[in-house]
Amino acid sequence: MTTPSAPSLASSSRWASTTSVSSSGKRIQREMVELNMDPPPDCCAGPKGDNLYHWIATLFGPPGTPYHGGIYFLDISFPSDYPFKPPKVVFTTRIYHCNVDSNGNLSMEMLKDSWSPALTITKLLLAIRSIFTRPDPYNPLVPSIARLYLEDKAKHDELASEWTLRFAK
Amino acid sequence: MVSDSITRASAHAVPNTGGRDLGKKKRARSAKLKQCKLDVRREQWLSQGAMKNKDCKEEQNSVVKAGKERSNNRSFGNLEMRPRGGQIDGSIHHHHHHHDSDVESNSPNSLTSSVLESNYSETTFTSSSSSSSGGCCSGNITEDEEGGGDDGCLDDWEAVADALAADEKPKNTCPESPPEHEPIAQTVFPQETAIGSDQVENLNPPYSRVIPKASGNGHAWRPDDAFRPQSLPNLANQLSLPNSNRKHYSCGGVPWAYNGVVPSSCPICYEDLDFTDTSFLPCLCGFRLCLFCHNRIMEEDGRCPGCRKPYEHEPVEAETSVHGGSLTFRLPRSCSMITRS
Repeated sequence: MTTPSAPSLASSSRWASTTSVSSSGKRIQREMVELNMDPPPDCCAGPKGDNLYHWIATLFGPPGTPYHGGIYFLDISFPSDYPFKPPKVVFTTRIYHCNVDSNGNLSMEMLKDSWSPALTITKLLLAIRSIFTRPDPYNPLVPSIARLYLEDKAKHDELASEWTLRFAK
Repeated sequence: MVSDSITRASAHAVPNTGGRDLGKKKRARSAKLKQCKLDVRREQWLSQGAMKNKDCKEEQNSVVKAGKERSNNRSFGNLEMRPRGGQIDGSIHHHHHHHDSDVESNSPNSLTSSVLESNYSETTFTSSSSSSSGGCCSGNITEDEEGGGDDGCLDDWEAVADALAADEKPKNTCPESPPEHEPIAQTVFPQETAIGSDQVENLNPPYSRVIPKASGNGHAWRPDDAFRPQSLPNLANQLSLPNSNRKHYSCGGVPWAYNGVVPSSCPICYEDLDFTDTSFLPCLCGFRLCLFCHNRIMEEDGRCPGCRKPYEHEPVEAETSVHGGSLTFRLPRSCSMITRS
């Protein structure tokens, strides 16, 4: 998994490239301040420990979805060349979702090709939160869940809320 | 015309003055010739200038006349001093040191202007006075302050210059000026004429021969003369200001429309944007970022963070690749950079 290696990568490159890290550090710090001052709904995020490049985010399953009532933890690790490269986001809480695989990896265009340096963690969390309400079964990471979502949404929602009760509470 | 012959005589005298064996007498004689020529030319200018300056007050005349006498003496004395100075620059400096004693603040401008104008000869007399920025103006101010301290004439020199340009044709038909108008233009021109003729014969002898001949034909300005006063205002604008104008219109206009949304800090790195950054508009979508971040993006992604479209042009490359096509070279610069010209 890339999650454990990401912080070490960031810390090792801190010595390699001071300017990029310091600029990304400033950026991340500012994002943290803004996130604390104006947190998005049902979201919170912050550094895991004293490492600015490793965050933990918490998402609350929005009402009206099978994920309602669940608390989902995410690992966010910032590359040293953040924000020019997207952060790596991984669900540490298991979730029954066609766009999140069993390892917690997230298939979002925003985290890959359509990442923009202008995006912030706040916007990213809001985007992740939006997949709770609107899964994208046409770009699935777990095709079986996507198929079920398209063919039998009731069954899909039932299974999803089951997983929510089981893993996310 | 009278001036023609006189100028020719003085022009012919120029090579003589260059000789080593000639004494002060010869120089004094040429100086006198010059003074005569000055007076005649002055009359000409006055007759032209008088046409459009009838609004000048009569009461100036008495005061100004005194100034005329002074300036006459001064220019003559200056001419007399020149042989002692020995060099062209010396004469110019002498002239202006004279003014330095009177008005200190204006002297540097007038000095530089006269030195610059020395390349143009007498032709620049009117043209330079309206085209060149501050030099002649200060010169006139100096003269005004000396010749009675009348502020009304400060604006008149431009009118006189215009009148000279406008009345180029009527000048021939009109007789010599009425004497009461003489002092008005006198306050404006004597210094310039003194400088002009002085420099003409010292620095540019060919001009002194050509121009008076032309004036004798009724054309004070050669048709191919770039400083023809008739077209002078337009020409001066076209010649001297095209770059700055174009810069203002093309570069200053469009991008500053985004002024309202210019962030104070780079949205990418949160560093404060300096003036170069705020005037840097790499994408038409209006997304601004600092040059460092833009460079960084250009290295890898190459897409605008705002609209996710690839940057159509790469200002960094466009600036370095001089051999690029003129269109592809200019477009990025005019679109992306405001401050750079």
